[in-house]
This record gives sequence, C-alpha cells and structure tokens, in this order.
Amino acid sequence: MHESVVAQMVVSGALMGLVYALIAYGFQLTYSTSKSINFGQGELVMVSAFICLSILNFGIPYWLMVPLGLLCGSLLGLFVERAGVRLALEQKSEGWILLTIIIGLLFFSASENIWGRDDRPFPTPISSEAIQLFGISVTPVEISIAAGVFLIMGMIELFKRKTLLGKAFEAVSADRDAAELMGISATRTVMLSYSLSGMVAALAGILVAPITTVGPTMASALVLKAFSVAVVAGLDSGFGVVLIGLFLGALESLTSYYVGSGWREAPGLILLILALAVRPTGVFGKAQIRKV
Amino acid sequence: MKKAIITTLLFGMVVTQAFAADVIKIAITGPFTGGSAPMGASMRDGAKLAISEINAAGGISIGGKMMKFDVTERDDEAKNERGALIAQELASMSDLSGIIGSVNTGVVLAGDKHFQEKGITKIITPAAGSASMTQWSKAGVKDNSIFRFAAHDGIQAAMVVEEAINRKLLKVALFYDSTNYGVSGRDDMLDQIKKQGDKLQVVATEKFNIGDKDMTAQLLRAKNSGAQAILIWGIGPELAAIANGMAKIAIKAPLIGGWPLSMSNFLDNAGKNGNGTMMPQTFIEEPITPKAKAFIQGYHKAYKVTRIPSPVSAAQGYDAVYIFAAAVKQAQSTDTHKIKEALEDLKEPVKGVIATWQKPYSKWDPANYDTHEAFRRDQVVMGMVKDGHVVFANDADRQRLTKSATEVKGKKAK
Repeated sequence: MHESVVAQMVVSGALMGLVYALIAYGFQLTYSTSKSINFGQGELVMVSAFICLSILNFGIPYWLMVPLGLLCGSLLGLFVERAGVRLALEQKSEGWILLTIIIGLLFFSASENIWGRDDRPFPTPISSEAIQLFGISVTPVEISIAAGVFLIMGMIELFKRKTLLGKAFEAVSADRDAAELMGISATRTVMLSYSLSGMVAALAGILVAPITTVGPTMASALVLKAFSVAVVAGLDSGFGVVLIGLFLGALESLTSYYVGSGWREAPGLILLILALAVRPTGVFGKAQIRKV
Repeated sequence: MKKAIITTLLFGMVVTQAFAADVIKIAITGPFTGGSAPMGASMRDGAKLAISEINAAGGISIGGKMMKFDVTERDDEAKNERGALIAQELASMSDLSGIIGSVNTGVVLAGDKHFQEKGITKIITPAAGSASMTQWSKAGVKDNSIFRFAAHDGIQAAMVVEEAINRKLLKVALFYDSTNYGVSGRDDMLDQIKKQGDKLQVVATEKFNIGDKDMTAQLLRAKNSGAQAILIWGIGPELAAIANGMAKIAIKAPLIGGWPLSMSNFLDNAGKNGNGTMMPQTFIEEPITPKAKAFIQGYHKAYKVTRIPSPVSAAQGYDAVYIFAAAVKQAQSTDTHKIKEALEDLKEPVKGVIATWQKPYSKWDPANYDTHEAFRRDQVVMGMVKDGHVVFANDADRQRLTKSATEVKGKKAK
C-alpha cells in the first residue's frame, strides 16, 4: 500500500515535471546559441494552444493540427527573435529582456481580445480514462505528454549531433566568434534556435491543453516552475533540464502528500535558493571562464 | 464672454439634471471574464433580461412619471483590488440608485465598505460566502445598506453536511480552495458538522490553489484516509480537475459541495466524471412552472444559447432586479436611501422566477444578519449533475416547487 502511494505520487508529479522541463528546454535552446531567453515563453505556449484550438474548430483533424500547430509555433518563435532579440543582440545590449517581456504581454492582450478570457476545454482523441500500470493510475493523456516530451527532445538533440546544420548550432553554442570565423552565420543559427524554441512551446501547449484547459493564464503557473527548473539545472544541458524537471515535479507532489497541500510550492523555492547559493551555474551548468 | 460661459455651464447643469431625473441609474458588477465568468455573465444577463422587460413595459411610474432603468456595467475580473476600485468609483457617483452584483466573496469584502459608508443600496448576488454579511454583524453597524440575494454558505453548508449524514456516511474529506470563499466555506462546513451532532468524522482537510491542475496528492490523502465522501468548497475550473482526478485514481465517493459545482466550466471540463455531483441550487433550468419556462426561453432567445451558463446566477440576477424595482416603486424615488428603507419593508409580494417573495428583508439588526438575507432553507434545493446538466436531485423538491407555483398563480393572476 505504502510503496504504491509513493510510486503514484512520484509518477503523477514527474509527469507534470516533464511539462516544466519542456518549457525550460525552450529557454535552454535559445540560451545556448545567443545567451538570451524569451521571457514570453509562457505566452507562446498559450497563444499556440489557442491557435491549435482554432485550427481544430475549423474542422481540421487532430493529427493534421499537430504539425500545423508546430509550424505556427516556430513562426511565432521567429517573430520573437526578429522583433525582440536580434537588434538588442547586435548592439550587445540586454534590451531583449524587456522586449521579450513586452512581446509576451502583447500576445497576452491579443489573445484576450481575439479568444476571450474564458478557460475552454481542448478536445483530444487521446483518452483521459485512467489505466493501471504496475498498480499506478495514469491517463493516456499524461502518457502522451511524456512521449511527446521525449520524442521532441530526442529529435532535436539528434538533429544537433547528426546533421550539418545541427553541428553549426553546436558550434555557435560552443564559441560564437570562432564559429563565425569558420563561416557559420550566427544570426541564422540564433533564428533557428528561436524557431525550435517556438516549436517546443507549441508542443507544450498541445500536450498540456487537455489537462490545463485553454485560457490566457494557462501557462503562467507552469512557466514560473520552468524558470526554477532552468535555473536549478543550469542552461547548458538539455538532459539536465529533464532530470531536474522530473525531480521537482515528483518532489512537489510528495511534499503535498506528506507535508500538506499548502506546502506544495515550498520545496521548489527552497531548491531554487539552494541552487543559487551553492551552484549559481546550475547543477548541470558549466562554469564559464570570461576572458577579459 | 464670461456671462456666456456661465450661462452655458448653468444650462449644461440643468440639462444633465433633467436627464438624470428621467432614469433610474443602477450598476451591475461582477466577473464577466475569467474563471468565475459563467456566474458573473449569467447574473448580468439575467438582470438585464428583467430590466429590458421592465423598460419595454414603459418603466416604473414615479410621481406620475414613467422612468426607465439605465445600467452601468463594471467587470471586476474576480480580482479583489479591481473590485475595490470599482466600488470607489461607483460610490462617488451621486445619482446612482443602487448596485446589483458581485460573485466573489473576496471582492465583496474589498469593496462593500465604500457603499456602506455612504449608505448606497447594494443587493449582493450571487456571492454566497458567509463573510459578506457577517462582516456587518461583527462590526455591529447600526444601519446597513447592503442586502444579499443568494443562498448564503450557512444554508449551503448545512445542506451539504445534511446530505452526507442522510446517506449514512461517516468519514468525509473536506476540500477547499485558498480564496476567501473556499476558506470561509471550510469553516462553515466544520461548524455545521459540529451543529448537526458530530456525526461526520473529518479524516482529511485538503487545500488547493486557483490554477492547480494536478490534484492527485490531495485526492490520494483523502482516499487513503478512507473518506466516504468529498465535501468541497471551491470556485472555478479547479473543481473539474478534482472530479477528473477522482476518476483517475478511482475514488467512487460522492462529490458534494457549494453551488459553483453547477457552473458550465465545471460541467464542460469534467464531462461524464461530473455525473452524480451534488450541490445546493436556488434555480434548476427546468421549465416546471410557466414563469420558469418563460424565463428560460427568454434567456435562451436573448443570448442565443441552449443552456444557461449558470442558471442559479441568471435567475437570482433576474429576481434581484424585480425586488429592487419593487422597492423603487414603493419608495416613489430614485434616492438610494429611500430605496433601502423600502427594501427593508416591502409591502407587496414580488413575483420572481425562483419564488414569490413576501417581505424578503426586514429592518437591519446587527445581532441577526438574516434580516438582510432573502433566502431561507426551503427556497434552496439539492441539484445533481446528469450528463452536463443540473437536474433536481430529489423528485420531491421538484413536485413541491411545481405545486407552490400553481398555488400562487391561482391567488394572483396577472
């Protein structure tokens, strides 16, 4: 009985944790190439979910909607890069912080005006009937979240390692100036990283929408957790983000079971403070040597 | 030149004065967007349906002059600070006759003091949290311009606890959200359990936040502590997350709780997992009386829907306007203070869609807040979710209401 409770809590929490990890992975993608992140990532998740809902409402079947939604997500990512990040990076300023926040707010108000402020159910062909796996109840929707997260992260990591374009991506991440000297366009690579990050956001939107319902504030709680995950894990490693995401999710649900539901958020915050105090670069981060 | 300006100003004042005197200005406030919107928007639409009926009939005769209602709407977004700002704004309007609305207890607590200070008449509907009225008894105010037209949580909690006892359940888990409404609902339930003879043992008390999606931890605690029912006080789509979570970890215990369980965003997001959920209701969307039939059809037609998002809110908004209108008529004035006095002593019964209201309010007594509460236990029934609709949980209630309506109809034909 007791083990099954722990297992159930760990699995339920870890599945939510994977969503945090997926959003945090979106931060990691752009940070590695450009040392900038999109502070409006949560709004990107939300807008993509709304767009996907509209696509479904046009009568387009679910499985066709998924690639269309991902495409819209990457276009939105490109828009963020062009409008909010590129100029700031060219001028070596930190203006992207404010600009990405502003673009996020713009998305937020736009979707409030276009789609309204209500929370709407997101239809999905994947069943939310619980099934039993080794004595643990999970719903196929939750399994689809895990599958989707691992699939997209695996594909992006493979792409980075196995293709020429991906290697350029890694080169820019490792050393932007050296990569430019080798003839790799850093601007293009940053564009690529933002469009991948937008795609990841769109996938996060599609995956969580059946659970969170679609509304303008659907991602605001998730994105805060994703920030914690990104900071605790460090922004250098995609797999680090997944591990910390799983860990944080499981920890949250164990805390709310054993300590009390009012304490749910506490361990994440304690972890965040500890990480900042003990390992400011993150658990999986690499210390950077700045040459002056 | 100067003279011309003064004349214009004077003339302008006279004109606005004349305009102001021709209408009864009332404000409707509530959350028209966001998680509480089904209640806020239904209340507003129900109230506006009543207003358009009154206006279409020419308005209310005051001193031989027919006056129509003029409505100001304000969306408080269910946010306390927004509610406080709106209350300040409305309280500063000199010609406002009254206010109808508020869904969220927190918003009421943040804003109503501005109305009370100036003695502006407000009918709270459908916010049910006990604190909305008990705050005035606790403060011991001598005179109160705040009335409520909703089955307050005291009544609702009593019914929820009663239901659990009637079903011979012994162990219950209390769930509540972290808003003012949720916390005060939990206290009301604990209170009622004690009052009804401590027959229920509370084996788990679990909190959740607005926006929480994964309720597995709380539900597992309830399940493992052997709870036979989940009594819940919450607002918004989180209730659906609980119903879905219960299905996921196979909790068969019934879900019984406050009336927001009848909201469309619970019914839609919980789907068939919502079936069997019970909650106190003041109005069920079933055309059991001619008046109810006319109201439901009128609402569907006016707002192009096939289901009222929150029938309770819509019906309460509708009846609250008729009660307010009756007070205006009796006071023969648009002055908010005179309307308050009339409300405390309504001479004529008001025919509403929920009931025929005989003297719903009386002179405020700080020792007894029921003086400004319109609803009593017998105007509230248990509702039950069935395939996305709320129906009567007990057929006896249905028959009782049908019968009482025909009796009244016989007495007072229009």
